[in-house]
Amino acid sequence: MGVEVRGLSFAYGARRVLEDIDFEARDGELLAVLGPNGAGKSTLFNCVLGLLKPERGEIRIGGEALRAISPRALARRIAYVPQSHAPTFNYSVFDMALMGTTAHVGGFSVPGAAQAKLAEDALAHVGISHLRARGFMQISGGERQLSLIARALAQQARILIMDEPTANLDYGNRLRLMLRVKELAGEGYTVIQSTHDPDHAFLFADRVLALNAGRVAAAGPPREAVTEALIESLYGVRVRLAETRRGNVRCEPVLTENNMKSIERKL
Amino acid sequence: MEEKLRGYSLVVLSFSGLLLAGIVVSFALGRFPIGPLELFTALGDKFGELLAALTNGKIPATPGDGVTDQMRTILFNVRLPRILLACMVGCCLAAAGAAYQGVFQNPMAAPDILGASSGAATGAAFAILLQLGARMVMVFAFAASLVTIGLVMLVSRAARGNRVLRIILAGIMISSLCNAATSFIKLVADPNDILPAITYWMMGSLAKTKAESVAFAAVPMAAGLLPLLLLRWRINLLTLSDDEAKTMGVNTGLVRGAVIVCATLVTAASVSVSGLIGWVGLVVPHLIRRLVGNNYRHLLPASMLGGALFLLAVDNVSRNLLSTEIPIGILTSAVGAPFFIWLITRKKEAI
Repeated sequence: MGVEVRGLSFAYGARRVLEDIDFEARDGELLAVLGPNGAGKSTLFNCVLGLLKPERGEIRIGGEALRAISPRALARRIAYVPQSHAPTFNYSVFDMALMGTTAHVGGFSVPGAAQAKLAEDALAHVGISHLRARGFMQISGGERQLSLIARALAQQARILIMDEPTANLDYGNRLRLMLRVKELAGEGYTVIQSTHDPDHAFLFADRVLALNAGRVAAAGPPREAVTEALIESLYGVRVRLAETRRGNVRCEPVLTENNMKSIERKL
Repeated sequence: MEEKLRGYSLVVLSFSGLLLAGIVVSFALGRFPIGPLELFTALGDKFGELLAALTNGKIPATPGDGVTDQMRTILFNVRLPRILLACMVGCCLAAAGAAYQGVFQNPMAAPDILGASSGAATGAAFAILLQLGARMVMVFAFAASLVTIGLVMLVSRAARGNRVLRIILAGIMISSLCNAATSFIKLVADPNDILPAITYWMMGSLAKTKAESVAFAAVPMAAGLLPLLLLRWRINLLTLSDDEAKTMGVNTGLVRGAVIVCATLVTAASVSVSGLIGWVGLVVPHLIRRLVGNNYRHLLPASMLGGALFLLAVDNVSRNLLSTEIPIGILTSAVGAPFFIWLITRKKEAI
């Protein structure tokens, strides 16, 4: 049943961040969340992950109300893949993945052979078994992102929340990472990811949720939801969406002199 | 991983062996000469007595020859408590240092980061000022240390901002207050006998160890070390961001609180019986990180062994190098600082 959000509102004190959000992500679906910085994407993710308590509205995970699920049970259903960052201590890639199994280990014990197998399988699943003994700080940004995804898989959650997984990656690694993520959705995982690249939404997403100033600006399949008007209202940039010969949609900024001036004014 | 795991088994085995050998050698070292033959006879006798007591006399004790009562007193009433305490204090300081480094996400954290040592120093100085006797110095130091951490926690709760930073800042402030109090006590103390006693206590020493100190420290040490060992896997997750740890099902507030309380308890117990012994909690975990990796599952037990071995070795130097005893705190700093410089300047990186 994936994730279902109805009438969700959230405020930090007097500052309203999310207002009446509705959306759902079904099993095996890749949902791309678009929106400018400060639109409320991270806050929405934190609510769905149970890190923030919504002011109003309901979140259902696999058909069950989020507030009725204990943090540990929740960790077995939904996993968070953060943007890769430098950890305080340099753990091995394997140890990083093994940490994902913590929700399956008793509070006072250490992971055993079963958990080690889960971590191994997760590394193999994303194709980085050969990196298992390497330090997390000694691998490339793309490999780091993959190892964080492996950690989420070792957690055995079927819902993956990814915070801009392709940020800081080069062109090739971006593409490789997105293909992996798309594969995971094909295997039945529900993937909800924020992205800044409308092209990625067209190429990979099954559905799009566009947020602007804490409200849903558009939702639906990419070709229906993402329009030239939507992108201009989200980012203040005029674009032209054009179908390529291979049947994809490409988003291209309109760089006429007039438009450049209006883009610069927004800076 | 396998490499590090092999490293871990190797470290645990070799450190255990060295520790055992170190303990036996420490029995023999000292101003009063006891030869190997007498030493092993005396140890054998003790073992025989234990065996006899355990089996209700079915295996009778058969004492060997050549061991005088004076030797026995020195071995079992003077050297044994001191050896035990050196190992216990080293083990606790290293464990507390490693634990604090994890929960504060700070590789430079040491057991005195929250002011446990400063608080203990104030308590001890006060008890010495009032001439309450050795036992009360211990009790005052322990109590003052815990009160200090209690204050740090209260202040950090009231403060705003990032939680880890709040606790560390509160620790620095409260430590500074304690240092002021200690300085004042030193100012009013009698410069002929009380002031030197306070100064000597603050240098850190195991010279006045009695069986009583071992018994006093053992309970809080055990009470703190056991939960630390049980929670050691989860300390790994606390080194990540709180949000990450929470989404992996860890109750970060509860685990971090428990680890801080336990690490503080063992630090307070150590400081109250040994005075201020610096560097052990920083140098030992860092050396062990190089040997077995950062995973607390291996890091914590190996650090405990390493700390015990390190302090036992340094204490032997402290009581045997010169004709007068050198306070061990001076030696750990003299050994620790250069050793740490070597650690951080070595080519092979990765802390």
